[in-house]
Amino acid sequence: MVVAGCAPSQSSNSTSSGGGAVPDTIVIGSTLPLTGAESKTGGRYKQGLELAFEEINAAGGIDVNGKKVKVELKLLDDTSDQAKAVNLAQRLITSDKVNAFLGTYSTSLVEAQSTVAEQNKIPYVNGGGAATSIYTKGYKWIFGTLAPVENLATNEMEWIDEQQKAGKLPKPAKIAVVWENTSHGKDFRKGIAAYAAKTGNYKVVVDESFALDGKDFSAVLNKVDAAKVDLFMVDAHLPDFITMHRQYLSSGMCNKVITYGARGTEADAGKALGQKGVNYILSAVWWNKQLGNQGLNKTFVDSFTKKFGAAPEWYQAVSYEAARSLFTAISNAKSVDKTKVRDALSSLQMDSILPGGKLSFPADKGGQASYPFVVQQNLPDGTAPIIYPADVATGKGIAPNPSCKG
Amino acid sequence: MGQVLALAVSSVLLAGFYASMAYGLGLIYGVLRVVNLAHGGMIMASAYLSWVLFTRFNIDPYLAIPIVMVVFFFVGVAMYKGLVRFLPRGAAGGVQSLLLLFGVWLVIRNLAYLLFSGDDQAVRTSYSTASVPIFGNSYSLNRVLVFVISLVAVAVLQLWLSRTYTGKAVRGVTENSDSSTLVGIDVERMYALTFGIGTALAGLAGVLASTLFAFNPSFGAGELLKSFVIIVLGGMGSVVGIGIGALVLAFAEVFAIYVVPSYLTAAVGFVLLVVVLVVRPSGLFGSNALR
Repeated sequence: MVVAGCAPSQSSNSTSSGGGAVPDTIVIGSTLPLTGAESKTGGRYKQGLELAFEEINAAGGIDVNGKKVKVELKLLDDTSDQAKAVNLAQRLITSDKVNAFLGTYSTSLVEAQSTVAEQNKIPYVNGGGAATSIYTKGYKWIFGTLAPVENLATNEMEWIDEQQKAGKLPKPAKIAVVWENTSHGKDFRKGIAAYAAKTGNYKVVVDESFALDGKDFSAVLNKVDAAKVDLFMVDAHLPDFITMHRQYLSSGMCNKVITYGARGTEADAGKALGQKGVNYILSAVWWNKQLGNQGLNKTFVDSFTKKFGAAPEWYQAVSYEAARSLFTAISNAKSVDKTKVRDALSSLQMDSILPGGKLSFPADKGGQASYPFVVQQNLPDGTAPIIYPADVATGKGIAPNPSCKG
Repeated sequence: MGQVLALAVSSVLLAGFYASMAYGLGLIYGVLRVVNLAHGGMIMASAYLSWVLFTRFNIDPYLAIPIVMVVFFFVGVAMYKGLVRFLPRGAAGGVQSLLLLFGVWLVIRNLAYLLFSGDDQAVRTSYSTASVPIFGNSYSLNRVLVFVISLVAVAVLQLWLSRTYTGKAVRGVTENSDSSTLVGIDVERMYALTFGIGTALAGLAGVLASTLFAFNPSFGAGELLKSFVIIVLGGMGSVVGIGIGALVLAFAEVFAIYVVPSYLTAAVGFVLLVVVLVVRPSGLFGSNALR
């Protein structure tokens, strides 16, 4: 495997990027934010790719029509910059003539970069764009391993519904849905609203959005407080989560269920809010290392931990699966012909480490994978067991929020 | 009514933080006629200094204020002596100073990325989520402390400008630098002092911000924009006007939720800015003189 960290070089192999001939080496282009605002996340994605490439090459390469072909990764740093992500993708595709592309991280960059892949008709698999807006443009060459954020909201609501059915939460329950004004937040809101409408057991009484990097959430929180809601359901990035939840705690508010979307289990949240501050917060992510006690997941967690000396998080898992899905599609296509690989991705059914155990890119979702999120809850002992779906649960969730009793 | 009162108190507390952000920018503009675009970068850098002092040396952010302000005072003086004094002033120097100080901001930001990565950081003390009852509602203790410190800062700044020889000399330089030279005031020294104090005030704002918010190297851009709005609303160069401008902005943002969707409340201040610039260019309460 070659990881190019700076300027791209011309490919030295005899790759026929569009033809059906099996090359000596398959070259896959990619960019990630290795420096800049998203550098830490970019670094995590890179680890996932590195492990996947190392494993496939250790096994002799991808089996393409009976011939084992080594895979080379040309990875460039897009510096978390949209324009650079687009320009580098253009260079990798048109100058370096890579066989396929692994997309970058964060919805805005993927959204811009995916257009280049679509225009150049090259298979593009990404683990960094979750917004459904990327996959509803009618593009044929774009595939994503991040399930839509709408699923996050739905899966949280499914767990809440179980608690309601068990008589632990009121029926109907009043919901305040507060969401950041981004595609992420919009998808979250959509999921809550759809679930509430479907079951009829929930009533959204506060529906407010906010701009990123808010400095004061008192007006929104006052509305939520005045509406006496049961479920306080927020979708926020880490800085807004910290600012809002500090104000929430200071104002003495307490709701039967609290969630900030994907936020709550990360170490940074505990550091900023203290264990007491994050207790009983519900959160949901695409993958968690607690899934790694058997099968493919165990192999992934063990290999990753051995290579990098730390357990993987969801970032590495989804980028690892993006690379693996592309390898599998090339193998299934028995060719590096772009159209054949694209078709193989469209019809992919692959055993996966992601929840549900199978990875596919359904056409009705525009090529975006769809699987359940793992719902976790922070407990006072510092653990955050998976509490939903039941088949992968490692603990039982608690509702209503015991903190409200005092 | 109870909700209106609760929001009014929240607005006043928010105004305290907003004013603390804008003092430094307002002072430097009032005296030097230089828009310090590095102001946001300074706020971010001092938030990191506060974080380092807290996490490495266990120094409470509020106790760190004097340390940070002294450090940033000397940083400001060095910036003036090394860079800003070579720039033409006023309208003639507008573009050069904007470009230079914008460049300084980019350098600070990228240095922060290099040193601290893009991760969000926050300072959590034992009282980060403590509350104080005001008129029957609970408010964050940190927000109340930030408000009180901001009030003290404006009082000290006003007293310094109006009661001390140096403060009067600074005002003299603002009024007429040539005449000030004639009466024996060292104008360059006053400029360096003002830039130092303005930067120290940015340092104060950064420490206060570190107690309230999570921050990363991009922090400070929104703070700079809001500081602009405040000094324009309050009248450029008016210290008391800055406090009133901060109050107007905070009230507008918090109460806007009754009129516009909450994600648009952040834009309310900028709409207000445009209206004020068109209707009353000298600001709601100001003249162009430092008072």
